[in-house]
Amino acid sequence: MKNGATTNGNGTKWHDTYPHLGTAPLPADVFTSEEQFAREREQIFKKVWLNVGRVEQIPHPGDYFVKDLAVCNTSVIVVRGKDGTVKAFHNMCSHRGNKIAWDNKGTCRMFTCKFHGWSYALDGKLTFVPDEERFFGLKKETLGMTPVAVDVWAGFIFINVDSNPQETLQDYLGELGAGLIDYPFGELSATSTSWTTEVKANWKVIKDAFQEVYHVAFLHKRSIPDSFTGKANPHAHCLDVHLYPRHGSMSLYGNAELKPTPVAELAFRYGAFVIRKDFSETRLPPAVNPTHSKEWTLDLNVIFPAFFVDVSEGSYFTHQFMPLAVDRTLWTSTQYFPKAKTLGQRFSQEYGNVIFRDVILEDGRTFEETQSVLSSGAKKEFYLHDEEILVRHSHHVIEQMLNGQPVAAVSHAERKEEADRV
Amino acid sequence: MSESLLPSQFQDLEQWGTWSLATEQERSARRQASTMKDIKAFYDAMLARMEEVLPYLEQFSVDVLPEDASRLFYLILSLAEVAPAVEQFGQPSVVDGYDVKRVVVQHN
Repeated sequence: MKNGATTNGNGTKWHDTYPHLGTAPLPADVFTSEEQFAREREQIFKKVWLNVGRVEQIPHPGDYFVKDLAVCNTSVIVVRGKDGTVKAFHNMCSHRGNKIAWDNKGTCRMFTCKFHGWSYALDGKLTFVPDEERFFGLKKETLGMTPVAVDVWAGFIFINVDSNPQETLQDYLGELGAGLIDYPFGELSATSTSWTTEVKANWKVIKDAFQEVYHVAFLHKRSIPDSFTGKANPHAHCLDVHLYPRHGSMSLYGNAELKPTPVAELAFRYGAFVIRKDFSETRLPPAVNPTHSKEWTLDLNVIFPAFFVDVSEGSYFTHQFMPLAVDRTLWTSTQYFPKAKTLGQRFSQEYGNVIFRDVILEDGRTFEETQSVLSSGAKKEFYLHDEEILVRHSHHVIEQMLNGQPVAAVSHAERKEEADRV
Repeated sequence: MSESLLPSQFQDLEQWGTWSLATEQERSARRQASTMKDIKAFYDAMLARMEEVLPYLEQFSVDVLPEDASRLFYLILSLAEVAPAVEQFGQPSVVDGYDVKRVVVQHN
């Protein structure tokens, strides 16, 4: 079912592989409805596994970081325990509810609440209460920090604030997680640069911009002309699409004939690039670049609801969109590189960071411009292109979850077989 | 301040010394605060020497860098920073871009 650059124009659409998604326009109010946002909070964000960081952030016992999760009405402490495992707790004292850790990150032997000095061990147990004798039948053994379900996949730490998660992280990530597990995330995560900003836009406005490349030929015509488009593929049609019950992947075309700018040419000499890469020593697992194309840039992997792991050769990047309110979102993009062996490689990585940042600044401008007019009611619905199928899929999954329907438990492979039969 | 800030063979770049900045935040702020005339002059001067600068810097370990080489290295990182202003946008900031000043950068 290839529909990429080479077969562009033969009339095949991604829709033919995933007809269950339909072709209807998208209701405009999903981005502005307070009522929908309240249900997304309760029925999605408080029920599913959410990425909160990577293991490199807490290499040693006692290392911790704090993730404020406004959408889950909580803050979570993620800490490496004395036994070396990663643990997570609601960041809230059992005494009168004060947030225990106020810093974003740190290293400690125990957590001590700044309000009255109640202290907790790294495993969450309440170990010390000042002037304990004058409390009334305090059962310290029942008053530890409240645990949050936590698990690690490929070095990515996920939490689930549901006190009884409906599925394991492994089951949640399913086929997508299994296909990516052998990607060299550990080695490529030696250095990272994150860009974070609070955007006045609904989280889905931001997410949707990063899960299609129909916009690339236009919005990014200055920053990365002829990178994701070429003579053979002027509209940046992607190479492949995989939709899972909740997640989605899209394999992106890259123009091998790209003429680099002078500084890009210098940078290319010292490192693999999203746009220009060296396949000679590739160690990509088969699920990455699934069409094995030489005209490939990267695969978008959209882990529902709001975490992207976009993998290329020699580097990868992530996006996360954490809702703060119906029209406010904390947007973080992070680019990861292996440890540079030479200063030339560090220069190359810095150029990669600058280009990446400037490209996402182009994306970023659309978010608030869009949100600022969404509430006008002037448009009741929006029209999705076939190459925007991940957007369509994402809204379909959200709708199913908000309606309490089970998400389509049909695997990608079964879906393809079915489509091929028709 | 020592008198010889850059390695001796790169003394000609000393006039661009104020572009030798250690962090992306500083380099980005400098780009945004500069005129295109200044950016282009810096870009041209640096680009003309990169075929010598890169091999020179390649001889050092990334973890142990003499101070003068370090200053030279920060200069080429500023070249990376201004490259899109010259090569892509024709202005210091991203054309029709989100305000970079609202973005917090963190390196790990």
